[in-house]
Amino acid sequence: MSWIHAEDLPDIAFGAAVLGTGGGGDPHIGQLMAAASIRKHGPVELLHPDDLQDDDLVVPVGMMGAPTVMLEKLPSGTEALAALHALERHLGRKVRALMSIEAGGLNSTIPIGVAAELGLPLVDADGMGRAFPELQMVTLTLHGVSATPMVLSDEKGNAVLFETVSNQWSERLARAITVDMGGAAMMAIYPLSGLQVKQAAVHGTITLLGAIGRAAREARAAHRDPVEAVRLATGGFYLFKGKVRDVQRRTTAGFVRGEAHFEGLDGCANRQLTLEFQNEHLIARSGSEVLASVPDLISVLDAESGEPITTETLRFGTRATVIAMPCDPQWRTPAGLALVGPRYFGYDLNYLEVERRFPANTVGVTLAVPV
Amino acid sequence: MPKSDLTERQGRLLTEADLEALALGAAILGTGGGGNPYIGRLRARELLRQGLTLELLPFSALRDDDVVYEVGGIGAPVVGIEKIEKGDECLRALRAVERATGQRATALIASEIGGANALEPLITAAQAGLPVIDGDGMGRAFPEVQMTTFMIYGHDGLPAALADEKGNTVTITGARDFYWLERLARTVAVQMGAAAGMAHSPLSGRQVRETAIPHTYSLALALGEGVRSARAQRQDPVERVLSLTGGTRLFEGKISDVARRIEGGFARGSVSVEGLGEHRGRQLQIDLQNENLVARIGDEILASVPDLIILLDLESGEPITTEVLRYGFRVAVLGVPAHEKLKTQAALKVVGPQAFGYHHSFTPLKEVHHVMDSR
Repeated sequence: MSWIHAEDLPDIAFGAAVLGTGGGGDPHIGQLMAAASIRKHGPVELLHPDDLQDDDLVVPVGMMGAPTVMLEKLPSGTEALAALHALERHLGRKVRALMSIEAGGLNSTIPIGVAAELGLPLVDADGMGRAFPELQMVTLTLHGVSATPMVLSDEKGNAVLFETVSNQWSERLARAITVDMGGAAMMAIYPLSGLQVKQAAVHGTITLLGAIGRAAREARAAHRDPVEAVRLATGGFYLFKGKVRDVQRRTTAGFVRGEAHFEGLDGCANRQLTLEFQNEHLIARSGSEVLASVPDLISVLDAESGEPITTETLRFGTRATVIAMPCDPQWRTPAGLALVGPRYFGYDLNYLEVERRFPANTVGVTLAVPV
Repeated sequence: MPKSDLTERQGRLLTEADLEALALGAAILGTGGGGNPYIGRLRARELLRQGLTLELLPFSALRDDDVVYEVGGIGAPVVGIEKIEKGDECLRALRAVERATGQRATALIASEIGGANALEPLITAAQAGLPVIDGDGMGRAFPEVQMTTFMIYGHDGLPAALADEKGNTVTITGARDFYWLERLARTVAVQMGAAAGMAHSPLSGRQVRETAIPHTYSLALALGEGVRSARAQRQDPVERVLSLTGGTRLFEGKISDVARRIEGGFARGSVSVEGLGEHRGRQLQIDLQNENLVARIGDEILASVPDLIILLDLESGEPITTEVLRYGFRVAVLGVPAHEKLKTQAALKVVGPQAFGYHHSFTPLKEVHHVMDSR
């Protein structure tokens, strides 16, 4: 058994921003909320999925909406509790533990704060092993787990309970309500049994987040390259090093969509890279050559500090290294790719595992592109 | 409540002929909107033929502790023409609210007597084995959820649930106010395909007595029967409607233009009517949002919400609804005074001209004569 203390949060938030692949919202806000809750209520117990009873009720809580909106529309702190309590009332059961629905971004740290507030443990697992823009995009869907009953609530006191015929319908109905609620709302979703957590969730992700953050922090302290430390901790590959030349970004239908163009630097000089995103980075391409695509993870790290850069803070002049990391194996099945592969996002492109795009690479050794 | 209790206070059992009259009367009170009751009538008739009962309970039979749920459809009436209900939408919405409140219904009440929503509670009640109260929350049709006398006089309507034909159910458990309830419900209805069944948290029997508009089913039935008998007796059906409602003939003419669009889950637009007979040479314009809102000639307002503006076919007395409006119809435009509960200060804030974005203040139509005790 281990505990999450306030001082663990910066590492976790750092790791969450890396696995956020540009989206998932800035974990910093969730980190501040979690730190305040832990200081007030004490540390949060981190439960291994195997420590759950099969019939325990586990509920992921988090934020739904556009990350750009979250920058200025902060949660009041009571919305997630309201959503969770409404779901408990509906189910007529008490929650045994909370979980993160996505390890990437804000939704990694939000449940920590709620867990501290309620004195509940957090399960060391999530539903994606990264961040994705739509709520049916969880490994839970692959196992037939329903997103509903789910509850959305906002800072105005509005609360809506959904019971839907599919997780795609949950996404459609809840997205529309999120837009009404101001582009961001808190949710309690995918009520799970302990058994379902064991079978369907991505395990160990909170521990991984902490390990990524710690590796970068220790590298910086030892004047080693933090980018390399992150790459090693995630088993990732270098795609590109460059400077942001142009960013096109628009907030539509509750999403941030757009693309970022990079000019190569150092070993990548005279080459260009384009990243396309919908909240998260979806595709990295250099000219017509695809370097990596969903469901593999694509992250933009500050070339000096290794700090992950989110899609909403990308801007002209940012010097960055772009890395790609292999996704959870569940995403590489035909069902997984149907849910989150490049074709789902509208690209006429077959998914190729990042490690097969760079066969010369073995994890943690050579560079895909000389940096 | 045991069934025997309900049979002790048995109300009027509706027949197939009643359904025909009710659908006609409800369409008249729909003031152009509320959806076409025709499909609802067929569905209700089917239930009758299956042996279920459609029962209307008068106000006098209400007990203070009755648990009365408000049910009806929500959406754009034009969509209702081609998106036919599966049939259990309102029932599933009702069950969702019952689950959330833990209170079983003892009766249902209509949100709006105007249009298809007159039939919905009867159908749901037949399916659930319940009676329907002879009254409603509008005495007509209105386009938005908060525009009922229940909400105007303090009922928050929460939780409220929406259900669609696909099997999705959405329960709004909290809303900042009833405008937010409308906004959230409208968004859900649009996503569900611009038509869904809806139910609200229950009213007590006492609340119904105090806030509902009474006898509106009886009025709709009388209107339907009146128009049909006038046609059979070769009398003017329009006159029959006027005498039953205390209304005024505002205008007669031919529809010369219709501008109609679906916007945010509503049918919005305006209708132009070229005068005929004594109105020749003048042009009347009617603005609509699902229902007819304002009738004017130039700058002169002849009638406006909450009073009822009703278009009837000049010959047959058949009501002309928003979704079938088209060039060439010859119509009588009637103004009918709204019920007093819609004309208080509190009510005008929610259903008066300003609630629909107009700047004029409400000038009530004069009641030509007193008719049913419902008015």
